[in-house]
Amino acid sequence: MIVFLKAGGQLRAMLRPDVDHYTRKVEVDGEKTIAEILKDISVDSAYVALIHVDGKVKDLSYKPSNGQTITLQPPVSGG
Amino acid sequence: MPLSDSEIERYQRQLLVDGWDQERLKSARVLVVGVGGLGGISATYLAAAWVGHLRICDSDRVELSNLNRQILFTAEDIGKPKAALVAKRISAQNPEIEIEAISNKLTEANVSGLASGCDLIIDGLDNHSDRLKLNKASFDLNIPFVYGAINEWLGQLSLFNPPQTACLACLMPEELQNPEVTPVFGALPGVIGSLQATLALRYLMTGENPVSNALLIFRGDTMTFETVTFERRPGCEVCGKTVPFGPRR
Repeated sequence: MIVFLKAGGQLRAMLRPDVDHYTRKVEVDGEKTIAEILKDISVDSAYVALIHVDGKVKDLSYKPSNGQTITLQPPVSGG
Repeated sequence: MPLSDSEIERYQRQLLVDGWDQERLKSARVLVVGVGGLGGISATYLAAAWVGHLRICDSDRVELSNLNRQILFTAEDIGKPKAALVAKRISAQNPEIEIEAISNKLTEANVSGLASGCDLIIDGLDNHSDRLKLNKASFDLNIPFVYGAINEWLGQLSLFNPPQTACLACLMPEELQNPEVTPVFGALPGVIGSLQATLALRYLMTGENPVSNALLIFRGDTMTFETVTFERRPGCEVCGKTVPFGPRR
C-alpha cells in the first residue's frame, strides 16, 4: 500500500520529500506502524514530536491505511 | 468598583466588544513564563487590555541574536535582564497594572511557588523540558495553561485545563530531540503570542476554552490554520491518575 508522509522544519530534510516540498510517497509492505515505516526509510523517530492523521493526534504505534497522509511535526521551541 | 471616566475613555473600544468583562480582567492574576518572542507579545497585549496583575518570569538576558524577533528589546538592552525590561515597558504602557518581575530560572522546586495564586499561566518558554515542569504545576495547582510554541514556519497553540482536558504531557510526554538552534523569524512568535493573548483574555472573561483537547496549528508558509484533536492519555504520568475509567498502561 501507499502512504504519504508530510513534514516541516528540520524533519522535512530528513524525510527527503519527493511529491512536493513537504511530502514523501512511501510504499509499505503490509500493515506497519508509523515507527516501523520511519525506520524503513531511515528517519529517526526521536525527531518526531507530534503525529497527526485526518485531524487527530496519533502516536508511533498507529498503523496507517492505504492512501493516508501522515503529518509529522518536529519539536517546537519558543521565542 | 465602577470604571472612572478616564478608564472608560481609555478602554472604550474594547468595552464595546461583545462579552467583554473588564472587571474580571482587572481582578485576574496571570503568570507569563518567558518574555521573549512569545511571552513578550502576550504580556504586552494583556497589559494593554488591563489584566490587573502580571507576574513575569524570565532568567535570560537580552542577546544580539534575540533582536530579529523579540521586538520589545533594542540593541541598548543587550546584557540586561529580560524580566525587568519587560516589566518596565509594560508599566510605562499601563501604570495601573501590578507587575512582579522575577529573574529566576524555572525549576521543579520553584515552579509551584511561581504559579501559586495565579488564575492562568501563559507559556512563553523556549524548550519542552521547562514546559513539562509548567504543565505539572498547572495540573497540581489546577491553573489553566496556555501553551504556545514555534519552529521555523510552524506555530502551535492550545489551552490545557486538566481534569477538564488532557495536559501537555498527554500530547508530548517526553523530552524532545531539539536542535541546538531553532529556526525562527520575528512575525511567527508575534502571531502565536497574539493568539495566546486572545485565548487568555477570552478564557479569563468567559471561562470558555475553544481549543479544549485540540491543538491549533498555524503554518506561515502556506497561511493555513488547522485544528487537530487529541485525547487524554490514560497512562499520563501527570494527569492520568485522575482518569475515572478506561485502560491504564
